[in-house]
Amino acid sequence: MTAVVCLAVGGAVLYLVAGSLTALRQEGWAFFTTARWSYRHGEFGAASMLFGSIAVALMALLLAVPLAIAAAVFLSEMCSRRVRVALKVAVELLAGIPSVVYGLLGVLFLRDWIAALFDRAGVDALSADTLLTAGVLLAVMVLPTIATLSDDALHAVPRVSREAARGLGLTRAETIATVVVPHAAPGLIGAVLLGFGRAVGETIAVFLVVGRADNRELSLNALFDAGQTITSKLGGSETNIAAGDPMHGSAMIALGLVLLTLVLCATLAAEGLRGRLAGAR
Amino acid sequence: MVILTLLIAGVANAAQPLRVNGSTTVNSVATEAAEALRAQKGMTIQVDTQGGSSGGISGIGDGTIDIGMASKTVSDEDRRRYPRVNFVTTEIGRDAVALIVSPDVWQGGVRALTKQQVRDIYEGRIRNWKEVGGADRRIVFFNKEPGRGTWEVFAHWLYGDPKKAPRVSHPEVGANEETRNKVGGTRGAISQLSASWAAGGVRALAIRLEDGTVADATAANIVSGRYPMARPLFLVTNGPPAGQAKVFIDYVLSLRGQELVRKHGYLALQDLKVRKEGVVAKKP
Repeated sequence: MTAVVCLAVGGAVLYLVAGSLTALRQEGWAFFTTARWSYRHGEFGAASMLFGSIAVALMALLLAVPLAIAAAVFLSEMCSRRVRVALKVAVELLAGIPSVVYGLLGVLFLRDWIAALFDRAGVDALSADTLLTAGVLLAVMVLPTIATLSDDALHAVPRVSREAARGLGLTRAETIATVVVPHAAPGLIGAVLLGFGRAVGETIAVFLVVGRADNRELSLNALFDAGQTITSKLGGSETNIAAGDPMHGSAMIALGLVLLTLVLCATLAAEGLRGRLAGAR
Repeated sequence: MVILTLLIAGVANAAQPLRVNGSTTVNSVATEAAEALRAQKGMTIQVDTQGGSSGGISGIGDGTIDIGMASKTVSDEDRRRYPRVNFVTTEIGRDAVALIVSPDVWQGGVRALTKQQVRDIYEGRIRNWKEVGGADRRIVFFNKEPGRGTWEVFAHWLYGDPKKAPRVSHPEVGANEETRNKVGGTRGAISQLSASWAAGGVRALAIRLEDGTVADATAANIVSGRYPMARPLFLVTNGPPAGQAKVFIDYVLSLRGQELVRKHGYLALQDLKVRKEGVVAKKP
């Protein structure tokens, strides 16, 4: 089983690496460091997309992680078993909602809310399709995933540790803060990393609200403007066009490779941390 | 992004469905033609708009579809990309590409732009509507995404060749519906769109020609060539249409099919002929 999985992942990576060579050889490091993507001119600098992908994922985590961990503490430490199970089912249902549905809700509601927010805050945004909009939408999407995985991590902390802490006279809040959360930290970080992987790889919901503007400068201001992520580029019309042009096709495959690398690193790190927690138990 | 129109005919006709894909501009005609043929002949027809015109052309190139819909001509480059494919284009009507603006821009007094102004807006040298006689509002340019026939017609007009168009950084839009909704819902917005689709609040600007006169995208101006961004609408096949594809194309070319072309705001082939003759007749 493990061998099959390794073979499949290894094969995918090899294929992407081989396919990327043409473009990476032409562009060199400029593929990662310059923001000038224009297939009609044979230029492939993906920095804006790399920035966009990481920026939307980090914004999502910034918004989602505090809420998700708080929810997990509530689920694991403060609920009766029956309530916890019921709520956990609800949270996991949320995690299972197809992303295109989230995208639709983003188009129907979130965009208008962001527009109203910009108006009130005096932000002079061109439109409400922005990296921020995508980040907020992703936050909603990754929140249940991080919450339920964090709850698992907290719940895996042995009861004995809690009882010992309480026995020493710590309050419940102190027990959570000084014993349970530190003990579960690797698992919590793992949950956050898996959330990052999901956010960075999300395509359709992002595509619908990100604005798809190429070659934006890399700055904080750019967060309040239309942008492009690796996934919104790969999900767009260029994939169709690239098929007939070796250099363009190779550049698109290189984008896929970068995306896969980001997600693989996050997932492997997360599983490593979660594994360590399981081992310690 | 992708409007999937799946028309499934009666179970009786279990044959391979006729696969049609491409331009959203042609799609509105093709979808209705498909409905009619389904009802009349029980044909199974799938109409899809993945990748716009380029999606239609590459679909014929790859052999994944039977009829491509294109609102631009098949370029020499396309033919080079697929040397084994014999692209046959059948013109079914004509359409104009307009620059459409959001209601506030129209009310702000902008009704026509010169080619140079459009170029300056596209390349970011003009960033506010007040510079072209409108209200004080930033310009939001929604650019049709790569591969869309609309974009290519626009770029052809401004730069002579889409390849010469400069690298720009505008938010992109895809299908015609998306373009219209985004322009309609964003203050200070402008985009390229099939003139027939300018409805629901968004308005089509006229082009101010070099002689100072203003050309609207009217039928007469399209036929005479005064309006500069006109384009033929094509159904594309590999080799001359045959079998089910021929039935479909013949229907679109028939009187009923051409009525559909008109119904969606495009010029039918008959209109082109009559008007062309009319224009010729007027010349001494």
